[in-house]
Amino acid sequence: MKHEQKHNPPMKYGMAIDLDKCTGCGACMVACMSENNVPFKKDESNKLDSITWIRVYKLTNGKSFPDTEICYLPRPCQHCEGHGGHSPCVSVCPATATDYSQETGIVSQIYTRCFGCRYCMAACPYHARYFNWWDPVWPDGMEKSLSPNVSPRMRGVVEKCSFCFHRYQQAKNKAYLDGERRVPEEAYQTACTQACPAGAIVFGDLNNPTHKVHQIVKPDPHNGNKSKNPRAFRLLERLGTNTKVYYLSSREWVRRAGDNYLEHEKTGQVSKPHH
Amino acid sequence: MSTLDEKATEVMDDDSAHAKGANESGASGYIILFFIIGFAASMVLGWVAFPKLLYSQKQQPFSFNHAMHVAEVNNGCESCHFFRDDGSFSGIPKLAQCTGCHDETMGESEAEATFVEQYVWEEREVPWYSYSRQPDCVFFSHAAHVVGAKMDCVTCHGHIGESESSRPYEYNRITGYSRDIWGKNIAGLKKNSWDRMKMDDCAQCHKEAGIVHTSSVQTKRDACFVCHK
Amino acid sequence: MKVDRRSFLSFVIGGAAGTALSPLPWKLMDDSSIWSQMWPWTPVPPDGEVVYEDSTCSLCPGGCGITVRKIDNRAVKIEGKPGHPVNDGGICILGLSGLQMLYGPTRIKAPMKRMGERGAGKWQKISWDEALGMLTEKLTAIREREEAHTVAAIAGSDQGTVPALLARFMAAFGSPNFIRTPSYQDTDELAVGTLFGEAGRTGFDLENADYILSFGSGIADGWGSPVRMIKACSLWKEKRVPVVQVDPRLSNSAAKATRWVPITPGTEADLALGIAAVMIAKNLVGSGAVSGLGGIKNTLLTDYAPEKVSLSTGVSVEAIVEIAKDFARANRPLALCGRGKAQSPESLRETAAVYLLNGLTGNVNQEGGMWAIAPADYIQWPEVARDKAASAGLRQPRFDGAGSGQYANARHLLQRLPDGLNGNGPYPIQVLMVADANPCHSLHDAAAFKAALDKIPFIVSFSSFNDETAAMADLLLPDHVYLERYADVPVAAGLPSQTIGLSKPVVSPQFNTRHLGETLINLAQAVGGSVAESFPWKNYETCLQETLADKWDVLMQKGVWVDDDFATAGSSLQMAALDTPAVEIEGDAGTFPLLLMPYDSIRISSGYIGDTPFMIKTVADTVIKGKDGFVEINPQTAGEMGLSEGDLATLTTPRGEAPVRVHLFEGIKPGVIAMAKGLGHTAYDGFLADKGINVNELIGPVEDPSSGLDAAWGIRAKLAKA
Repeated sequence: MKHEQKHNPPMKYGMAIDLDKCTGCGACMVACMSENNVPFKKDESNKLDSITWIRVYKLTNGKSFPDTEICYLPRPCQHCEGHGGHSPCVSVCPATATDYSQETGIVSQIYTRCFGCRYCMAACPYHARYFNWWDPVWPDGMEKSLSPNVSPRMRGVVEKCSFCFHRYQQAKNKAYLDGERRVPEEAYQTACTQACPAGAIVFGDLNNPTHKVHQIVKPDPHNGNKSKNPRAFRLLERLGTNTKVYYLSSREWVRRAGDNYLEHEKTGQVSKPHH
Repeated sequence: MSTLDEKATEVMDDDSAHAKGANESGASGYIILFFIIGFAASMVLGWVAFPKLLYSQKQQPFSFNHAMHVAEVNNGCESCHFFRDDGSFSGIPKLAQCTGCHDETMGESEAEATFVEQYVWEEREVPWYSYSRQPDCVFFSHAAHVVGAKMDCVTCHGHIGESESSRPYEYNRITGYSRDIWGKNIAGLKKNSWDRMKMDDCAQCHKEAGIVHTSSVQTKRDACFVCHK
Repeated sequence: MKVDRRSFLSFVIGGAAGTALSPLPWKLMDDSSIWSQMWPWTPVPPDGEVVYEDSTCSLCPGGCGITVRKIDNRAVKIEGKPGHPVNDGGICILGLSGLQMLYGPTRIKAPMKRMGERGAGKWQKISWDEALGMLTEKLTAIREREEAHTVAAIAGSDQGTVPALLARFMAAFGSPNFIRTPSYQDTDELAVGTLFGEAGRTGFDLENADYILSFGSGIADGWGSPVRMIKACSLWKEKRVPVVQVDPRLSNSAAKATRWVPITPGTEADLALGIAAVMIAKNLVGSGAVSGLGGIKNTLLTDYAPEKVSLSTGVSVEAIVEIAKDFARANRPLALCGRGKAQSPESLRETAAVYLLNGLTGNVNQEGGMWAIAPADYIQWPEVARDKAASAGLRQPRFDGAGSGQYANARHLLQRLPDGLNGNGPYPIQVLMVADANPCHSLHDAAAFKAALDKIPFIVSFSSFNDETAAMADLLLPDHVYLERYADVPVAAGLPSQTIGLSKPVVSPQFNTRHLGETLINLAQAVGGSVAESFPWKNYETCLQETLADKWDVLMQKGVWVDDDFATAGSSLQMAALDTPAVEIEGDAGTFPLLLMPYDSIRISSGYIGDTPFMIKTVADTVIKGKDGFVEINPQTAGEMGLSEGDLATLTTPRGEAPVRVHLFEGIKPGVIAMAKGLGHTAYDGFLADKGINVNELIGPVEDPSSGLDAAWGIRAKLAKA
């Protein structure tokens, strides 16, 4: 028996984060922790071993008082597409524990498959991956707040932002039931997008012109998916990681902070990435 | 000295050669015997004792007669195991669904009495053991299979709907998983599609059905995230 | 038969061959690899049916609508309620982590009585009957001696039926000592009363304003209803509404503003009056906006000329004039005050000056302007019955002196309690009851407050959490947390409307706790007599339903009741004189060359509610590192003192000293240092305790001469390398 497959054009889920709007309130971080059963320890002040799938960085323009400026930059996994899905982490994983899906554009992490070599962490230019140095422990009673949609991780594996993939799985379930072919835009939104009080995060299919994220980003497929929006930039764009998280800022110094620039270079002048 | 020594050695060699020969014919029999004993013992251990040790049995809280219930309801399995509006599958019914009919004892079976007295009256959920529950790392979409691919329940769950009593729940002591998904047959042989529900079985069925995506960059097959969480 | 070496080897080989041909090794290998992938001790959250329950968050005064995702009976996630008039789907970091409070280790799980020394943490679980019996016995004996006034209650709020029941209990019992913890609400009420001549509060039509001038208000740091404020920030960005933030420190609010105006701390009132002076001088005042303007005109023009104001505030003359012009020429400009999260009272002078600016625009009680709103009046209960003991008690003066003499303008003066207890009060306090408040941590000079509690023989805490004040109690009567109970949540928090939310039980009570409203009704009935008469309700739910009357059905259905057509508190702003005195800062500049300011961070909960494990996780390692707390300092100032990033130093103020680490921050005015509020807990749990310094222990109360409210906003300090 051969099932006929409906050949939907592939999706490419991505994000546009408006740094002009982000206030650094941290709601995205906690929405993510609460949604994804992220563990916590008594002392989380060593940020090297503190797991926060989306982390809000504080950038400053480096000028002295009173010309100082601050900008907050939330950093989830950038879900690099690289060239043909060869994102830095996927390319180095010896266990097939992390993978790039051509169907959704999401970089996955399968905890039961991971054996903790941490190659991917070394390869990731964004520090988006975290290692479980300890077994997660929930204080008595607090394990009641764990969600069954996301597997709690164990000591010795790497974890990272999944664009709340379980929400996609559920939305797809619902779409099957409703006889729909595709998951509607509003049916699949990440926890951080949903929580953000500033409405700074927009999430959706970058391939779908009806999705808000596409309209904001206007990715240019002929120029390495670079955004045509003059306010937009990606982190370390020139590495060719071809990330799917776009940032928007009206401030030149913020856009410059997204990559390493020579003094004479302007952010808008960066040409097509080389492979 | 040297010649004497050589002679002595020769003699001794001769003796030992004889002795060896005699021993060999007797000992080789023993060797084979011991081989067979070892072989047989380990076969018994591996095929008989090991499965007994590996799997532990638990009895369901009380026996459930699927056959009778299927005969009573209008909509087959879906009468009790249905889809919720959000697309998720309800799995084993909650007490509230049962009490629709079982407000009071129906019939005279022992199981019925246990159910009504210990669960309905006490408003306690029945702690059923689920034969087919996948490990926590697996996301299984009933909707994709039942609604999308229009598969029937039997393909994966076998003829449980025709059972008249609940068989014991067997689980693997090491992994804690149900024997039903881990394979009824200790040799890993599979006669029916529902005999085992490991990842390879999913893959095999998908392959047979011609559903082979190439969405994974790593494997050029289905991406892991489709079924894992 | 002789088993020699060869036979044995043969046996082993046979065994190995047999084993290899049996499933044993292969199955074991497979199983143990699976076992190692998912350790049995890693929790597996049980699956079940997903249900969403709507409720109202009451962790801060913001009053957001929430929807809680449940799996069967477990609450697994709190989300913002889409379409809710306050937060429309958005939610803040505190609201998101509410389940960590519900299920957290910091809950008080049953009524308990103290066993060892006070504060030693030795408790014995007792039954509710025994607990209430203990308290009733104490209270009855006091009442019989006609000493009802020696019972005091501290509450975190006086809004809604639960605090109202506590206030009512005090009145019926015969004590004038219902004391609300200090907040900007005190100043706001005072300012509205003074400027509009009627009781009320302010509300701000932020969404329709087209120019925002904030005097230190943490519009992106948790001021007002935090989610609404952040939403407004985004709206202003979209509509290109200019936002000017006056702040000595580059707070998140300043960072989000279109223009940051660094100011010498404590001179905000001068700047506001300076801007008013420019508006008047340039004839940019809205018509008929402020009555009595003539009386202050000359003083403004002479004493608050831009040149003078520039000298004191450190803001340039050009900036003052430019801001004044832009503010005045905007169609619907709005000025805000109440520093940070507005959790502390402020000087009346400053608040009145900022409200005067709103008055001058002519936009008071208009779209996009500041509204003076009459108090919510849905709680209409009959007068309390007063027997002889009650009347006798109520004739006594308030212990904190509020409402009479030099404190005639104040309603609650909690900061005066330690002094009173230490011998300067009108009478001793025999029983103290504390609800939804943690003064042992949140009050200025918290250590002095804690020490003064020694003078109170019996302390009762209704806290749901093991906070610092509960740790000092003799009897714990734990309340449900908001996710386990019904309660009305009236939302003020700067909303230009009358809004009431409803908290509904999302899960059944997790522990042996009791609704505070229920406890009070039980207690009143146990005390009996006229006290019982004043509490005729069968239980709290009946009381709530009767009180809300026709609003109950709306609230049950929609979760929120909004009245946009509310009564205002007066229509015109009157400002006849500019003689409101300023609030001085404690400490002498010679000994203490620096100025220490506490700052609010939206990631650190700083009131009665402690920070959750998730929230603490988001706090930067330049705020806490291990057990150490940081003080922010301008690199220039640090350089002068030989301090560099991460250095250990001793911070000394007239009120105390503490070891700190130094964090260099360009965004703070030289000479000013800042510390985050809400840290340095000693109670709660291992996720919150022993992290950083409680800045409240380094700052003492400073009374505003015009009201007696504690309007301290900082203190002089010095920093020495350790």
